[in-house]
Amino acid sequence: MSLRTYIAKRLLHAVLIAWGVMTAAFFLMRLGPNSPADKYIASLGAGHNVTAVVAAIESRYGIDKPLHEQYFNYIASLLQGDWGWSFGTSMPVMELIKTHWIYSFQLVLLSSIFAIVLGISLGMFTAVKKNSRADHIAAFFSFAGISIPHFWLGIMLILIFSVKFGWFKTYYDTSLPMLSLENLHALTLPVFTLGTGMVAGYSRYVRSAMLENMGKDFVRTARAKGLPERTVIGKHVFRNAMLPVITIIMLDMSGIVFGGAYITEVIFGIPGLGWMSLKAVFADDYSVVMAVTLIGAFVTLLFNLLADIAYIYLDPRIRYE
Amino acid sequence: MCGRAALLSAGIGLSGCLEREAKEQNQSTNLTGAPGKSGKFIEGSSGGDAETLNWLLASDATSFGYIGLTLDGLMTYDNNFNTILRWMKKDIEVSDDGLSYTVTLRDDLEWSGGKPVTSEDFVYTMKNLMFADWMAYSYAGDWKEEVDGKSVFIEPGVDNETTFTIHRKTVNPEFLYTVTDLNVYPKHIASKYEGDVKTFTQAPELNDLSYTGNLGPYRYKEWIRNDKIVMEHNPDYYGGKVKGEPYFDEYIIKIFGTSEARHAAMEAGDITSTGLEPEQVKKFKEMPSVQVFTVPTSQYQMMQYNMRDNGWAGLKDKKVRQALTMAIGKEKIIQQVRLGFGEPAYSFIPKTSPWYDDTGLLKLGLGDLYNKNKAKEMLLDAGYGVRENGEIKLVDKNGAKIKLKLITNTGSKVAESTAFLVKQELGDIGIEVDIKLVPWETELRKYYMNKVPGSDQQPRNNNGARAVSEEPWDLILAGHFVDLLQPSGSEIFFATDGGLNIYGYSNPRVDALFKKARSKEALDKNVRKEVYAELSKILSEDQPIDFFTFPTANIAFKADVKGIEPGINMNYNYMEWYFG
Amino acid sequence: MRLAAYYWERTKRQRPAMAGLAFIIFLIILAVSGPFFTVSPTQVNFDEKNIPPPGFTLEQSIYNASSGGFVTTVQRGTWEHPLGTDGMGRDMLAMLISGARVSLLVGLLATGIAIIIGALIGITSAYFGGAMDSVLMRATDIFMTFPFLLLLILIVYLFGSSLTLIIMAIGLTGWTGTARLVRSETLSLRTREFIMASKALGASHLRIIFYHLLPNTLSSIIVLATLSIPGAILAEAALSFIGLGDPQVASWGNILNAGQGSLQTAWWVAVEPGMMLFFTVLAFNFMGEGMREAFEPGGD
Repeated sequence: MSLRTYIAKRLLHAVLIAWGVMTAAFFLMRLGPNSPADKYIASLGAGHNVTAVVAAIESRYGIDKPLHEQYFNYIASLLQGDWGWSFGTSMPVMELIKTHWIYSFQLVLLSSIFAIVLGISLGMFTAVKKNSRADHIAAFFSFAGISIPHFWLGIMLILIFSVKFGWFKTYYDTSLPMLSLENLHALTLPVFTLGTGMVAGYSRYVRSAMLENMGKDFVRTARAKGLPERTVIGKHVFRNAMLPVITIIMLDMSGIVFGGAYITEVIFGIPGLGWMSLKAVFADDYSVVMAVTLIGAFVTLLFNLLADIAYIYLDPRIRYE
Repeated sequence: MCGRAALLSAGIGLSGCLEREAKEQNQSTNLTGAPGKSGKFIEGSSGGDAETLNWLLASDATSFGYIGLTLDGLMTYDNNFNTILRWMKKDIEVSDDGLSYTVTLRDDLEWSGGKPVTSEDFVYTMKNLMFADWMAYSYAGDWKEEVDGKSVFIEPGVDNETTFTIHRKTVNPEFLYTVTDLNVYPKHIASKYEGDVKTFTQAPELNDLSYTGNLGPYRYKEWIRNDKIVMEHNPDYYGGKVKGEPYFDEYIIKIFGTSEARHAAMEAGDITSTGLEPEQVKKFKEMPSVQVFTVPTSQYQMMQYNMRDNGWAGLKDKKVRQALTMAIGKEKIIQQVRLGFGEPAYSFIPKTSPWYDDTGLLKLGLGDLYNKNKAKEMLLDAGYGVRENGEIKLVDKNGAKIKLKLITNTGSKVAESTAFLVKQELGDIGIEVDIKLVPWETELRKYYMNKVPGSDQQPRNNNGARAVSEEPWDLILAGHFVDLLQPSGSEIFFATDGGLNIYGYSNPRVDALFKKARSKEALDKNVRKEVYAELSKILSEDQPIDFFTFPTANIAFKADVKGIEPGINMNYNYMEWYFG
Repeated sequence: MRLAAYYWERTKRQRPAMAGLAFIIFLIILAVSGPFFTVSPTQVNFDEKNIPPPGFTLEQSIYNASSGGFVTTVQRGTWEHPLGTDGMGRDMLAMLISGARVSLLVGLLATGIAIIIGALIGITSAYFGGAMDSVLMRATDIFMTFPFLLLLILIVYLFGSSLTLIIMAIGLTGWTGTARLVRSETLSLRTREFIMASKALGASHLRIIFYHLLPNTLSSIIVLATLSIPGAILAEAALSFIGLGDPQVASWGNILNAGQGSLQTAWWVAVEPGMMLFFTVLAFNFMGEGMREAFEPGGD
């Protein structure tokens, strides 16, 4: 099988999975007992024909038709690039996402850079200094980093650095220009909140991958040839250790975007996809929830695919089956 | 409009409604010296974002607040309920027989693009949009009257370019306040989207308020959902032709995820104004850079007694309800939960209303009538107790301990604290309260909406005397809004067939009085005054709900914001505020 | 039994793992015995609200509407409430201990559900192979691709925030990792001689699955379970944090959520449950990691 057919096959697989996720999300939401009409009925005064009002609202939301019809209509409009109308915010879902994705993206991007740089350095350092005092301390902090709840860390950072010291604002200011130092400053605490767990995780991966390779024959050979330790570690061990690490980072990505970033946005009031989708869930804003779910699935599938390709690219010995 | 939008508030926290109510303009206030500085006015909010700027579709106070910045409305009231004209040239003229209401518009109102705003636009908005079947306008009921047993819409008609008259067949003196809340769409734009609610919902011009012309002090600029809405100075504003109001370059409403972040932003000077939680007030009052106003609100916190068949049977007895109210200290709620920011409530009309009259009010839960022993004795008399060694022990008819199920919504600290305080107070007299916190949506669906068991009724908030909610309950904490000028709007809560009378209260005398407040007789204000006094008195005795408090709100402004007149409608002259 | 003893010996040598285990045992004892020595965690007392831990003070003011001034009192921490009280005068120590019960319950039950579902799906998939394998693995893929937290939030929002439902939801969404792991382990076992032999002897599918396959994957399952518990605990806390927790129980997440509104004043209400969460999760992580190293052949 050529690389191209392999990728084509993976893509087909991805489309299938995305369809599955979409279908599951669609029916899950419709099965709930809530109706967008509830809140209107609650505020109705006297003199209303409730049945008529419910019918009008359901028709406005497009939920008056039989379920299967709604489902096929949704797929049909999706295929035409129409993501529907957001009733919670009164704008097309596509527009909504266009204005908000960047806030999530910058957070995840900066956190990833922070975590990858720091995580890899820390991992290499502790692998080289295995079982030293520094290694043990680093190990402890990695575990602490993995274990600390995001939301609590975020709140504590706000309490200490914003409330007590006043170094940062307690909220994220969207009026700052995206590419500015002020914006970077404003994102410090969110990035640290989201990045801590990632640093901790990555440093552990890197450390164990490095250690695994250090014991391998080719490293011993390199050492025996009298190559300086720096070259052995930097060139031979590191390069080989990076392979699984990159894969893991890729596979982690979607969990970060739709796990930690989600909560981080809520704490710091960043109007990204996470906060938006949470509001949408509470507002019974079906089409937004669907869109965010689909984007989430898409990101996951994309990174899985990238991880696969990276694997093949970095290690030609691997055969794709 | 605001009061109508949110008659019912989720829990008993303060909604942002009052803060942004009636943001309209006053030309009569004299200003000493023109403002020197300009700048942005940033209001901090943490109550969530608006749903839509397409006002006919809105059902939340936040939406009406945003829209009000660009559409002044016909008129407003100042803190003393004096009429302040906005779009109107003179006050609404009511015919002597009380059947027709004539509105005369200013002749310099324009839509964007220069088309004049005419009476035709108003009549069109009513007839073709608000009253249309396809629209199912949520507040259409306000524009209906009962004629020959049928509910029909009132009839608006164009008199000339700037005058229109609304004709009724029955007299209702309080309909005036419905007319004052009337808003308008441009006929030439709205007619493009007429007939289909889905198209109307998604109409771009109606959603971005690009039609508002010179009708309000601000123009729509930008709206980032769940973050902020930016309105910019409207240079064409009809009210600013002489002095150039409004005096701020931009009016921004910034949304925060938590009240904590909002307070910190106010403290740091990042925002110009925000409402304060009670525990923060002292700190802000002591800050030289901030001014804090403590102002009354137009709502009351209360606890509803379930008199339907799925509530504790005792609650159907007036004596029992009075006893329970007597056992819960109103001052305690004000002190412990609201940290002093509130007035005790005994009935539904607050002191700030021109219709307030406390003669004959039964002031249960305060002073001598906050008496737990007396409460126990009353319950014993009602058959819910036994005397053991001189001590009264409260028991249910079957001899078991009395247990009540109290429902309130999650997410409101005030509601939760009040719930626990009620539990503590009733616990003192030997009644066990089981608190159940549920999300607002669930509360509406499972505890508010009711229907006759086994029938195929569409569940709603009041489906008649025999209807019951899906889940049983005894007590529900919530808040009600009251329209200070037309308290008869509260009919919805207390009339037998009132749309939000979820607790199954029925008193023919109350029904008759509410009818009377909206009848020909009541054209005489003295009659109405008597009607409201009697209503207040009956409700304070009947206790369909335990009226807890009328909360007061605290609103902080930067010290350099000038021109504010603190009071119940303090935003009435907001376009004249300036940085000094 | 000998095997268990062997693993125990190896795990015992991991000091952090033992520290973790000790903490968890301590927590369990606390959670079980708590009701006997603390006051009731739901006992409110508005006269004793917002009492700080000993050594701290807090000013509280009540507005006097007639004078426009404030009546200020200073609350001092007392040993009667060693961890202070919350905004309704509930004892923080009692609430944290009752929260420990909730968190442990969620961690163990949700993980249990996830592990059982995952193991069954993994084994079935690998053992039967073919179409069964394809279908089950595609289902697993779909579940893995669904944004986890969003799915959890949706389920709990739609069907109500009861503790039972939250536990079920975490369990039902968290099985995919186990399924994958068990499947791959089973795949390698499937062709081993003893399995082939019992097949040849006519053993039933169920017998092979429950007597041979499951026990042989058990060690990896146990390690994975231990490492999944913190995830389940954190998931419940995260749900509570965004307001979807069971309002009827005082879980750490619920307390934390309530406390974040008064960070500037009653800071301890948000700090303390967070610390408990952190230490508990850390303890499980240490233990899981220690077990993993001990169970790994030649792992040290």
